Amino acid sequence: MTDLMVMAQIAGRRCALHASDVQSVIELGAITPVPRTPDFITGITALRSQALTVIDCRRALGFPANDWNTDSRAAVVSVDGYSYALVIDAIEDITTSLGEIQQITGGFGKEWSRVATGMIETASGPALLINLAALIAGPDDSFGELSSAA
Amino acid sequence: MDDLLADFVAETREMLEASEGEIIAWEADPTDTSRVDTIFRFVHTVKGNCGFFDFPRLAGLSHAAEDALADCRAGRRDPDASLVSAVLAIIDRISLMVDAIETGQPFAEEGDEALIAALGNDTQTGMDTVDAAPTAAQPPAHAPANSILGSYDNSDEAEQALKPDAALPVQRSIRLPVDLLDRVMSGVSDMVLARNDLGHRLRQAGTQPTINGPFERLTTILSDVRDAITRMRMQRIETVFAALPRLVRDLSAELGKQVMIDLEGGDVELDREMVEMVRDPLTHIIRNAIDHGMETPSDRLRKGKREIGLLSIAARQSGNTISIVVNDDGRGLDEEKIAAKAVSTKLVTSAQLANMSRESILQLIFEPGFSTADEVSNVSGRGVGLDVVRDNLQKVGGSIKVSSQPDVGTLFTLQIPLTLSIIAGLTVEVKDQRFAIPQSYIEEIIHSSAKALDFNRVGETALVTFRGQRVACLMLSEVLGLDTDDIAEGEHTMVLLRLASGDLFAIAVDNIHTHGDLVVKPLAPAVMRSGYYAGSTLLDDGQPILLLDVTNIASEYGLVSDARTRVLQTPENAAAEADKDIQRAMLFTDFDNRRCAVRLELVKRIETAPASAIDLSGAKPRAVIDHMILPVIGLPNGQIPLEKIRLLRLSDGDCELLYAVREIDDAVELTAALRPAQDDPLIEAITLVDEKTVSLIDGHELFSRFGEPPEVTAKPLCRLPGSEWARTILGPLVTSAGYEIADNASVPRDDGSEVCIMLEEEYEAAEALEMPLAGPVIRLRNLPQATPGTETIYRYDRDALVNALQTARIQGGKR
Repeated sequence: MTDLMVMAQIAGRRCALHASDVQSVIELGAITPVPRTPDFITGITALRSQALTVIDCRRALGFPANDWNTDSRAAVVSVDGYSYALVIDAIEDITTSLGEIQQITGGFGKEWSRVATGMIETASGPALLINLAALIAGPDDSFGELSSAA
Repeated sequence: MDDLLADFVAETREMLEASEGEIIAWEADPTDTSRVDTIFRFVHTVKGNCGFFDFPRLAGLSHAAEDALADCRAGRRDPDASLVSAVLAIIDRISLMVDAIETGQPFAEEGDEALIAALGNDTQTGMDTVDAAPTAAQPPAHAPANSILGSYDNSDEAEQALKPDAALPVQRSIRLPVDLLDRVMSGVSDMVLARNDLGHRLRQAGTQPTINGPFERLTTILSDVRDAITRMRMQRIETVFAALPRLVRDLSAELGKQVMIDLEGGDVELDREMVEMVRDPLTHIIRNAIDHGMETPSDRLRKGKREIGLLSIAARQSGNTISIVVNDDGRGLDEEKIAAKAVSTKLVTSAQLANMSRESILQLIFEPGFSTADEVSNVSGRGVGLDVVRDNLQKVGGSIKVSSQPDVGTLFTLQIPLTLSIIAGLTVEVKDQRFAIPQSYIEEIIHSSAKALDFNRVGETALVTFRGQRVACLMLSEVLGLDTDDIAEGEHTMVLLRLASGDLFAIAVDNIHTHGDLVVKPLAPAVMRSGYYAGSTLLDDGQPILLLDVTNIASEYGLVSDARTRVLQTPENAAAEADKDIQRAMLFTDFDNRRCAVRLELVKRIETAPASAIDLSGAKPRAVIDHMILPVIGLPNGQIPLEKIRLLRLSDGDCELLYAVREIDDAVELTAALRPAQDDPLIEAITLVDEKTVSLIDGHELFSRFGEPPEVTAKPLCRLPGSEWARTILGPLVTSAGYEIADNASVPRDDGSEVCIMLEEEYEAAEALEMPLAGPVIRLRNLPQATPGTETIYRYDRDALVNALQTARIQGGKR
């Protein structure tokens, strides 16, 4: 199975996103904060006439926001018909995956297991394949536990 | 009505196409009752739609077919080949009739009875059959039916009547995938944003006639296109509402009741798909309300109610939800009867029932198979019940709720989502962040320092007094958990909101920005879950802002009451009050593109002023006209799009104000009835001029809010004699009379805009020397006694001096 993967750094770790899920990579402009929402939702921003929900991936994983520097660029992904801008450390590369998704005994650590589909080998080394829906659901959602149990 | 008819034809055709496969399958195997549902729904819809129009024959046919099919569904009858062919013959006939309706052709009268008889309903017992036959046999009773489905002279060959006449125009239509429309729509929204951006840059670069012309043209084209595109997807709910008065009239007449319908919010736009979605549920609820809810006139009188029942239907929009509230002031739902019925049909057990609140017992009416109707009537209780209504709404992500109070009334609330919508909205600011509020909720905007508002804290709840009513007030900054404001409590701008249920509350914000059309986009579920927002929208500069979910915020704070009857002004009285003698009015179009009129007595003059003459820097816009500073209202938000602006100068004798208008149309006589307007306090009434609605401005309200005595701009100059006495004694007196003291070294103005005070000796000397004197001169004498023949004032006669100065100023002002 070879798929195109977007390689990104999230909270200091190398992660892979399916290239087909990533619509584009944008420079983040002005972000309108959204009061009364969980803190991993940084706000909303506009991409042409489309409104994107900006997700801080570090917080969505349950890490503090200030431990890693982030790029001014964000990956635009679409989940269930809604578009999100993912604030990540950096976009590294686009590469192809090699082989199947694997699970690792002992998991990937509490925060990561919740959002990871599994480990994937790529041309530039192993990476964690991210389950976007789980990532976007944020740290307090039961969805992550379900998917890691599966 | 033409649109409605076209919709009816299109819908019937569409359903016919959709059910064609089912019809064929059913024909092949009449025992397959699963096929019957689609066909049943088809005839049921046709019958329902006939309620909107006057097609008694169509109604009769579909009603008869519906009866036969209902029997099959209920298992009272086994469909056989003869029944199938009878039903199919009726469907064919319906299809032919629809063709005839579309082309406006007459249709052969004979044959319906035979078709209905072929169904063999007579062998069955049941009152439906009894209704059906006379309905079908009745001759078309009303004019529209006669013209459309009227008698066709003597030919009994249906075919001959059916040949469409090629000369008659038929509205052409094609079907398009919704995706494509969405793409076009979002493209146009992008274009509008790009245009606004370009416009902004052009303004920064200064006036460039070579670019501005084409740019204006682009703007016009774009707004046309946008309008057309919007109309492709959106439709006013009016198209549904338009048919309701007729439905209500016919139904209430049929049932021997008197019902008045009150429609509100017809301008709410929703997706065409959704319009179709609400049509059936709404009709159903209205039928139920009149059939079950409304008492007969005599019962109503006995209960101390007005003889005529009131059925009010209001549509409101909030972001991507529309709420439609149907409120009747009938007998209300009978909780005990519902409970008993629910137990008897084993919907719930008695034990469960004991633990249920009144509220949840009432919701049982939406359960499948529930009907409190004691008997099945022509109008309701036919099994297509509220459960179907609820299911249909839920299918599109909507919901329905009921609340009721015995003898007060019943209130159904339908919530319908919108996939995409353009709504009018207001942008407000709190803590440097902007939010949008749908215009349809906004009752009024008031600066709370205005004495009328009387801001109070009762416990933690803030209250304002609005027209003598205490209204709960939410601080938007508190609602959204933003830091507390720097603005002193009670100094906010209040936006008064009225919910679809009729409840009123206020929201305090820091600032009000623009009114405008907002393209509402859905928000991600994680954001929606917070319950504070209904969607997002983009400002002209492309910055996204959030649209507040007013209903949800209000219910979060417990500001939504249960079923309540709206206290309406008795319409008869209101109409009588407003209906005065013929009046003349100035007709104009304002910057919101509303056609307005203002009573001609109020119009002093029509002014044309350069846009630069309007001072927008203060709290209220002002303009200087004829050296007078006057308040300006009616300006568009933001930049004034024209170089010159037309202003109506209105005066009530004491106060004056300027009303900025886009276009002045004409002076007209208001002959049509004035209907009092309730939603905008500045509008006294709505009336018709040339068949179009016009809002008549309430002059009294206008002046009580905005009127100000005009203030003269430049103080007139007064030149004093060059003496110590003049400077120290005369000077202050002249200043207090509103004059500015001229510098004696300056050259006198020759335009008469200054007044000169001279001592008698000086004046005589000047006259002797034939010195030119600028403007009016006030001559002062040293002695109390006047020299006969001269107009002089004793220099210590303060009153005479002040009078003379005022007279001089009025003369100067008129120049």
